[in-house]
Order: sequence, then C-alpha cells, then structure tokens
Amino acid sequence: MYLLDLQGVSKIYGSVKALYGIDLTVEKGEWLAIMGPSGSGKTTMMNIIGCMDKPSEGKVLLGGVDISAESARSLTAVRREKIGLIFQQFHLINYLTALENVMVAQYYHSMPDEKEALQALDRVGLSDRAKHLPAQLSGGEQQRVCIARALINYPMLVLADEPTGNLDEANEGIVIDIFRKLHDEGITIIVVTHDPEVAEEAQRTVILEHGRIARIVENRK
Amino acid sequence: MIAFTVALGASLATAMLNVMLDVGDKVNRELKTYGANINVIPKEASLLDDLYGVSEGHGVSDRHLRESELGRLKTIFWAFNIVDFTPYLNAEARMSGLDADVRLVGTWFSHREALPTGETLDTGMRNMKSWWSIEGDWLSDGDADAAMVGALLAERAGLSVGDAVALESAGARRELTIKGIFEAGSAEDERVYVPLSVAQEMTGRPGLVSSVEVSALTTPDNELSRRAAQNPKSLSVKEWETWYCTAYVSAICYQIEEVLTDAVAKPIRQVAESEGTILKKTKLLMLLITILSLAGAALGISNLVTAGVMERSREIGLLKALGAGNAPVSWLILMEILITGAVGGAAGYFAGLGFAQIIGRTVFDAAINIKPMVIPLVAILVFLVILTGCVPSIRLLLSLRPAEVLHGR
Ligand SMILES: Nc1ncnc2c1ncn2[C@@H]1O[C@H](COP(=O)(O)OP(=O)(O)O)[C@@H](O)[C@H]1O
Ligand SMILES: [Mg+2]
Repeated sequence: MYLLDLQGVSKIYGSVKALYGIDLTVEKGEWLAIMGPSGSGKTTMMNIIGCMDKPSEGKVLLGGVDISAESARSLTAVRREKIGLIFQQFHLINYLTALENVMVAQYYHSMPDEKEALQALDRVGLSDRAKHLPAQLSGGEQQRVCIARALINYPMLVLADEPTGNLDEANEGIVIDIFRKLHDEGITIIVVTHDPEVAEEAQRTVILEHGRIARIVENRK
Repeated sequence: MIAFTVALGASLATAMLNVMLDVGDKVNRELKTYGANINVIPKEASLLDDLYGVSEGHGVSDRHLRESELGRLKTIFWAFNIVDFTPYLNAEARMSGLDADVRLVGTWFSHREALPTGETLDTGMRNMKSWWSIEGDWLSDGDADAAMVGALLAERAGLSVGDAVALESAGARRELTIKGIFEAGSAEDERVYVPLSVAQEMTGRPGLVSSVEVSALTTPDNELSRRAAQNPKSLSVKEWETWYCTAYVSAICYQIEEVLTDAVAKPIRQVAESEGTILKKTKLLMLLITILSLAGAALGISNLVTAGVMERSREIGLLKALGAGNAPVSWLILMEILITGAVGGAAGYFAGLGFAQIIGRTVFDAAINIKPMVIPLVAILVFLVILTGCVPSIRLLLSLRPAEVLHGR
C-alpha cells in the first residue's frame, strides 16, 4: 500500500485547468520533490494533498483512505492528525514566542506540552531562541520554528511549499540538512521547489507543466 | 477601539436607563414645582362652584375644612404619592391706605405637620410655590406680626419691604410688618399672606381652613380612570379595585375625600394631564436614545471586528490549517471580543453613571438615584450587542479558506 495515491486528479477553476489527470504514488518514507514553472499547478497539488482543497475529479488516497469525498470538517481532522505543513512565508503568529508558536499546533491537536515543544525546537537547533518573538528571529530561524511546528504532532506526511524560497543560501543549507535528518528518521516529505539543488536532494523529482506531469526524474545519490 | 465603542454604547445605555427609571419621579417633581395638581374644598362650596360657576375663591364661604384632619392626607392608600399640601384660609380685609377690600390669606409657609402615623412631614407654601420670586423673605409660621404682600398690591399701595401696614378683618385689627413682597405671575399677586394661625385668630375661625392644595404624583389617565372620574360606581368590582390601587389623579382625589370630612377633591386638570403626557414622551425618548446608541454600538463593533478578522485572516487561516475547527476559532475571536467588551462595558457603566448625574443636574436639577437593576440590564444588553456585532465577522471567519489566505495570491 502506498502512503499517498493520486488517481486521475484534476482541479479546474472555471476555464483554467490548474491540474489535469494527475496519477502519482508516494511510498512511506519517500522524499519527493515537485518542480515546475510558475502557475504549473504545484501549490494546487499541495493543497489537495494537504487536505486544504478538494479535487474536481479523481481520487486521493492517504494511508489507504479516500479523502477526496470527505467533508470540510473531517478534512480539518485529517490535516490535524496526519499532515505537517511548512510554508514559504513561515506564517508564524507575530505576538507569540517561538515556543508558543509550536505549542499552538499542540493546542489544536491535543494538549500543549512545553517540554515536548522545547524538544521540537531543539531538533531544529533553536532551543536557545524559544522565548523570542518572530520579529526577533532571522528568516532562516523563523522557517525552522515553522518546521518544528509542522513536526510537533508526528505527522504521517510533511508538505513544504517552497520552504527555501525566502531564504539565503546559508539558511537554505540548514533547512536541507534538517530535511535530510527527517528523511533519515523515516519521515515522508514532499517539497515544492524552484531550486534544482534542493530538488536533487530528494529521491525523485516530479516535473509539472500546465497542470500535467511532464516527467519524473530519479535522482542519483 | 472595540472596548471604546462598547464603553460609549454602555455609558449611554446606563445613563438613559438610570434616568428613565428615575425620571418618573423627576419629571413629576419638576412639574410639581409649577403648582399643586389637586384642590380640596368643602362640599357646599363646591356645589356653589358647580351651580353658579362661582369659585369659592371669589366669595368667602362659611363652609370649612378642619386643619386638624389634614395629616390624614398622608394615610390614604397612595400616601407616598402625596408630596406636599398646604391649607388656605381666605378672608376679606381692609388695608390701611386703600379704599377697596383686599384678599387676606392665612396659610402654612414651612410647616412641620405631625402625622397620625407618627411621622412628620415638612410642607407648606415654600415647597409648593418654589418658583415665586421673593423680595425680602418668606414668612415663617411663627411670624405673628408679619405679612407677605403680592407685587401688584404692594405697588398699588406703595408698600415696600420693612413697611408697617394695618389690616382689619371681621372687627379685628392688626399691625403687621411687611417681610416679603412676592411675584407669582398670577392672581396671588393681589393678595396678602399671613400665617394660618394669625388669619384664624383675626377672623375668629380657629382650626378651620377654606381649601387645601395638594401636590401628588400621578399616573397618566386612561379610559378606566376617565370613566371612574365621572362615576366610580359605574365600575365593576374588579375595575374598581384596579382603579383604586393605581395612582390616577381621580383615585387619589377619591381617597382624599374618604379621609377629610365633607370635602371635595378636584384635579386641577391641565397640570395633571400634561404631567402624564410629558412623562410618557420623555420615557419614550430615553428608550429611543438607548436603542439607537446600542444599535450604533453594534454597528461599530461589527465594523471593527470584521476589520480585525480581515486583518488577522492570515493568522486565522493558519490556525485552521493547523487543524483548528471552525468552532474553536470562532470561540477564540468571540472570547477576545467579549473580554474587551466586558472591560469596555464596565468602564461605560461608570461613565454612564456620571452622564446620568450630569443629565439629572442640568435637566432636572436633582441627583438621579442609581438603580442597581441597571447593572444586569446593561450587562445583558452589552452581551447581546457584542454578539450581534460579531455575527458578520464570524460568518466571514467561517468562510475563510486556509489555502487561499496562506498562499497569498
Ligand atoms: N483559487 C483559484 N482560483 C482561480 N484560479 C486559480 C486558483 N488557484 C490557482 N489558480 C490557477 O491555477 C493555476 C495553478 O496555480 P498554482 O497551483 O498556484 O501554481 P504554482 O504553485 O505552480 O505557481 C494558475 O494558473 C492559477 O492562476
Ligand atoms: Mg505556488
């Protein structure tokens, strides 16, 4: 059984076919990259996989369960239980400290646990910045808080939409190192990126063009 | 801003509700200062009045009420609504330096009446005619050798404060010093006032009075009270009871007649009626202001909260993306606003008490009694207003889709 199985997935906005007839499978523990020009449907695909949007057609099986027919309410629950989201713009709450930002995810999942949240920050090397507000952190540090937040509830699948798009090279390196570590721990990761160097780190790269899969590249390692 | 809006709404509501609940008394007291609303005269005198249209005031009747019974006015069912009363004893007198007779009136000025209930009541002309303008001083009831003279009479007789004047009535003659000259703007300006006991002594009518003016707080007349006023016997037992136990001016008159021997009590119509109407209109106005101010606050809140939700749409979208359901997120926003609102409401309540006092001072020239029941009332109103104000923003919040706000397209 695949962890993720897209079968003939399409998303149509009026006359725009953002995604069209996508067939794709992802194994548990796999690290997948998605590349493609702007407007090729990468974010649309991530939204559908991340339960933030529904396909117009086709099936999405997550852990063997078809989520394409679920209600908005149960999609919220799936998102909460199974998905970790990492954003290009970090999306931290600016009046909460790094630690509290991580704990927010715990709050809506189960119970805030400060020790566990601190450990998550430690995993991304930020335990000394726990009490800092987002404005007091660099872009790279903010992205690491965002990663800690995505990991806090032990998601089945981590989705990152251009996680290094707003970072300089040094910070990009740090983030890639973290992803490598997560991959070694057996976490399933899907990363959307414009950067071939980031994509090369993944096992496979899916190239999207005009809402279709143009080709899939196996990366040598 | 939300707290401020709530505070503004709450303060207006508090002020208006406090004033409204207290205004019945205030407006009545205010109007009362423009005169008594019930006149009590002896039975036969009233008959003459009815038959010939001759008011007792124009001739001196030999029918009288008893001064000793007056305390009973405060024992009727609506005793608490009797605010003031003053007896008058009328006589014709000859005044030194004038050819024609003048009207001599004995009355209470500031009298302390011991009531049958054991309490005392301070009443008299000074209370009832508070708008009279006085040159010199009011008399006191112990001034046996002094008089007050109306401004027109004083002018005609060339009198001023401090002058002595001789009065002769029913064969008795008295030298009196003029202690005050008053201007009432009505027929009283032609009269001479002395303490009741002096007039009784001069005219040989101890313990008697010709009429009593009563100032009572009344409920506006309605159909029932009008029927009762024409003939109380036409009412059914039930209606009669309702009427008797309501502070209609006719019911109060009826009860006055019950306690005074051979007395007829009549409302002084215009005053009594306008009191009721003005009261109703004032209350309506206050209610309107309350509703409008609360509606304004609700609108203000809904704008502010909606703007707040829009401003925080990214944050709310994020919470939803992290798996927060609609209910918890709505609660979060609602709680925040309710807490802000509670702070604003509390501040507004106290500001409103201040407003109420200012209104009381400037409009009614009296302090407004603070009614504790306004607190829960305002709390509930503020709560409802906030909830109403939050409806549009909660709807916005529910329709907010994380995919759209987070990818900032
Ligand atoms: N909510 C939407 N409404 C209308 N069109 C949309 C919407 N979301 C995406 N699209 C369109 O779908 C296409 C794919 O968009 P997107 O998935 O964001 O591309 P990418 O992330 O690869 O740049 C674009 O042409 C975009 O304009
Ligand atoms: Mg995109």
